[in-house]
Amino acid sequence: MDKKVAVYICRGCEIGGSLDIDALSEVVTDECEIELCRDHECLCNDAGLELIKGDIQEGANALVISGCSPRFKTDDFKFDGCTTERVNLREHVVWSHEPNDEDTQMLAADYLRMGIARAKLAELPDPFDEEIDKTILVVGGGVTGMTAALDAANAGYHVVLVEKEAELGGWAGKFAWRFPLSPPYKELEPVDLSERIAEVQGNERITVHTGTTIEKIDGQPGQFDVLVKANGSGSQFRVGAVVQATGWKPYDASRLGHLGYGASPDVISNVEMEELIKTGSITRPSNGKPARRIAFIQCAGSRDADHLPYCSSVCCRVTIKQALVTRKFDSEAEAYILYKDIRTPGQYEDFYRSAQDDPGIFFTKAEVTGVEVVGDNLQVVAENTLLGDEIRIEADLVVLATGLVPTSADGEGLRKLADAKATIAKGEEGAALEAAKVSFEEFKHLDGTEILNLGYRQGPDLPVLRHDFPDSHFICFPYETRRTGIYAAGCVRGPNDSLVSMEDGSGAALKAIQSVELASMGSAVHPRWGDMSYPDFFMQRCTQCKRCTEECPFGTLNEDEKGTPLVNLTRCRRCGICMGCCPERIISFKDYSVEIISSMIKAVDIPDEFEEKPRLLGLICENDSYPALDLAGLKRIQHSAYIRFVPVRCLGSVNTVWVADALASGFDGILLVGCRSGDDYQCHYIRGSELMETRSGNIQEKLKQLALEEERVRLEQLAISDFDKLPQIINQFAEEIDEIGLNPFKGF
Amino acid sequence: MSNAVLLVPDREFVEELIASGGGELKKCYQCATCSVVCDLAAESRPFPRKEMIWAQWGLKDRLVADPEVWLCHQCNDCSESCPRGARPGNVLAAVRQRAVKHYSVPSFLGRWVNNAKLQPMLLVITAALLALALAVKEPVEQAMSFGEPHGFYAEFFPHWLLIAFFAFFTTLAFVAAVLGIVRFWRAMKDADAGRSPPTVGLLTAIIRTITSVFVHDKFGKCTSKPSRKTAHLTAFYGFMALYVVTIWAVLDLYVLPRFGVVAMYPFDLMHPMKILANVGGVLLVFGCIKAIIDRVQKTDSSQTSTAFDWMFVWLLLLVGVTGFVIEALRFAIDPAAESAMVTVAYAIYFVHLVLVFQLLVYLPYSKFAHLLYRTTAMVYVERTGRSRQLALAA
Repeated sequence: MDKKVAVYICRGCEIGGSLDIDALSEVVTDECEIELCRDHECLCNDAGLELIKGDIQEGANALVISGCSPRFKTDDFKFDGCTTERVNLREHVVWSHEPNDEDTQMLAADYLRMGIARAKLAELPDPFDEEIDKTILVVGGGVTGMTAALDAANAGYHVVLVEKEAELGGWAGKFAWRFPLSPPYKELEPVDLSERIAEVQGNERITVHTGTTIEKIDGQPGQFDVLVKANGSGSQFRVGAVVQATGWKPYDASRLGHLGYGASPDVISNVEMEELIKTGSITRPSNGKPARRIAFIQCAGSRDADHLPYCSSVCCRVTIKQALVTRKFDSEAEAYILYKDIRTPGQYEDFYRSAQDDPGIFFTKAEVTGVEVVGDNLQVVAENTLLGDEIRIEADLVVLATGLVPTSADGEGLRKLADAKATIAKGEEGAALEAAKVSFEEFKHLDGTEILNLGYRQGPDLPVLRHDFPDSHFICFPYETRRTGIYAAGCVRGPNDSLVSMEDGSGAALKAIQSVELASMGSAVHPRWGDMSYPDFFMQRCTQCKRCTEECPFGTLNEDEKGTPLVNLTRCRRCGICMGCCPERIISFKDYSVEIISSMIKAVDIPDEFEEKPRLLGLICENDSYPALDLAGLKRIQHSAYIRFVPVRCLGSVNTVWVADALASGFDGILLVGCRSGDDYQCHYIRGSELMETRSGNIQEKLKQLALEEERVRLEQLAISDFDKLPQIINQFAEEIDEIGLNPFKGF
Repeated sequence: MSNAVLLVPDREFVEELIASGGGELKKCYQCATCSVVCDLAAESRPFPRKEMIWAQWGLKDRLVADPEVWLCHQCNDCSESCPRGARPGNVLAAVRQRAVKHYSVPSFLGRWVNNAKLQPMLLVITAALLALALAVKEPVEQAMSFGEPHGFYAEFFPHWLLIAFFAFFTTLAFVAAVLGIVRFWRAMKDADAGRSPPTVGLLTAIIRTITSVFVHDKFGKCTSKPSRKTAHLTAFYGFMALYVVTIWAVLDLYVLPRFGVVAMYPFDLMHPMKILANVGGVLLVFGCIKAIIDRVQKTDSSQTSTAFDWMFVWLLLLVGVTGFVIEALRFAIDPAAESAMVTVAYAIYFVHLVLVFQLLVYLPYSKFAHLLYRTTAMVYVERTGRSRQLALAA
């Protein structure tokens, strides 16, 4: 298709009054040789849009619309069959720079040149058209899984629910009493899941497989082929997305010897207490006599660097429930609750209050230092109590409030184990064998923990993050894991109560539905939903370096025996990290490629060394940093007019060749701005910023080789709320580059 | 085995405190707002926070031996600020009530005097005792020949009998009070276990305490609401005036004549002692009425009133009111002409004596005992220097 570029310059929102529009039009027509260039007082009004539509009818199909940020009027400036390049003259130029100034004019002209360069190369993505199955697979039949299944089914989707145990219900089904799940959140509630289970089993859209495990999940979102096994016989079916709601397991109480576990049968875990409660009376396991003085030790192995460093959020309420049940069973019974902090979130404060009001339930903050067996009795020893002094309390029964551990499988660890096994089996020798043996020892404990058995090169289960939870926990992307189309919900996502777990079930079901629907449209999922582009691999030039397979945060790529990447397009989130890492530069998107960005960089008019106008390149992440710069503009915070920003899908998509191109074109400094990396990462593609950190290390090595100052390339990470800091960062960088001096390669 | 103290939670004691006006004590979650807002609490180990958790765990031994519950003047700043509605002021009042009961000798009186249902029975017993005294009046007078009675009511209840009767019972009460104070002092000392040794002499501590009591400086610390200081101060001085007059009357009748001073009793209206008595009576009645109105309308800071509180304030008021009535009748009635009115006056006088008996003889067991225990506790903390710390903190 022939490209016919049309450039529009909007004069509204102060643009017309701050820039010489005629001069800009000359840049377009004379310098860039684009015949069709129009300006308009308000492009987004009906007259403006009609103007554009008229040109489209005349054959214009590559539009460069210069005006407001592409984050505004997105739908207005979307025209079928046309590529649209938005040039941000408003937020990034006139709102953040001196009006009618030479440098501001140069900035606007450069942005137009860059937009035109991009418009010349960007193509419309080819439609993606493959059969998509919209069935949702829910793994785990506890309260979370049942909610996910019901919600997805009620939304009109077929659901397959796989539960490894013989009954649905999960942990909740094993308990007799629970803390309240409905207002006023004060009274104990008996657990009765039969209605819910019947609802699931009776739903015509839900297929329930109990006593079933997953042997294999191959494929990609919309096309997952699932092989399950029940009683030795297997069956296969196809689903579109997966909700992993495999729940939790209790923290291993046998590791809590310091709290008396194992020293007496009368020291039990809270899960064992649930079993006692189920019998209808609380008796001492040692002698079967009634337990009337029950000490509860909170945070047993929780919020403890040697055990679980996190708070499991439910243990306080579980203990309060158990204390109330104890009192309900026996009015002579007393419960002593020794806590680090009582944590009863939200309305559950009222549940805590109702237990407090009971004269037979005693609370104190305490650090329990030990549990001793004294004759027939147990004595809990504690210090730093609010009662003053070091105290001991006699008890018939001690209950350790242990925390929740997610039933996730460490996908990456399992992959390393599998690789080590393969290396050993292949009969390799020398260093490779030694490394494999070390790796095998390190990960052998994971053997047999597989849950999903994914056919992904990066590992058979979800990669886990901190504390073995597979979810980032960043507020902007709940339920998302590092596998597109697979969502974590309930206690495998985080230590939750039943209410939050059910909410999770609903949320994850919605994410799963979004995923299959977007896949069926050929679109990416969050955060690039609506993006129809996908990576194109020019395989003839692939060197099987496997970098893309390894670096893709979402495990999009499998590989054949030689190591050639095998693409699973619907797994892809279109971040471009593969494009950024590919040393051969064979990966590109129709509207985002190494070549397109290079051409934008090269389109900037670099003043020669005598003009003393430095030029800085800003490669800025579209997710949070670009909107932050828009916000700064909205607040009219000024920044240096020497910088030219190129938005990138993710810092991880930055190919180092762009840096080389920029330096070769005469740019004096390069600023890379993206989301935060690290434990509390906010990178929308999880590892993009982190990968860029590694790559910028390599870049600086290169700079040294070229005898250039390392300071010419700087990586900055910020949150969207740091918008006010961004102009400072830019100005500071501009000052530093000014001090260092101009790029010696300028003009070559 | 560590040095940890074995804690024995006492659910029944918790329930007792709840029943004695500390109904919200379980609501405390130990945020310490109470101790922060309290102008009387010390910086380290301040009340009422620690007392609140002791109360929640039913640690009776610690609570009854705690001088600090008596340092509280129940301004209820803490109850106002408590985010949990645990009303620490009421809890401390319940603890004080329980402590009075705890130190009562004999202990059954501690239980009886504070039981509202037993009040008619106690009144009947007192009336019977007084009737018994009247019954022995004539035989004893004939045997001992005390001479002419002085005054209007002395015809009915002669001074010698009155003084002998009350001297006997108030001595018993005094012994009971001393025993209670001694037990309390020992308990405080044992509980302290040598942690805060005395810093000043006992006499200094007593003088400082009495000075503080006479100016009611602790009451004045409450700033958030109109304090109970006015009511308490007037009733206090009213009572003190009447106490002085009573002592003077005894001296006037039985001691001064031995030194050649002519007995002036019964005093006429312009006698300085009579003026003092009338002023005292007015103050007492005013103080009691104000206290009752404040409690009913809750215009002051006292929020919850228990039977323990009501019985005491009403008793005090009735003593004052009946006192004025009998005084008025003495001046109004011509004994020779109006014999019927004389009988009425004697009957009211009898009631007055019953009420005075209730007030004075049961002092160690009623709310009146606060004058013993609060003073003792104040002396104790003054002596150990705790009160200096309190003053600095405030």
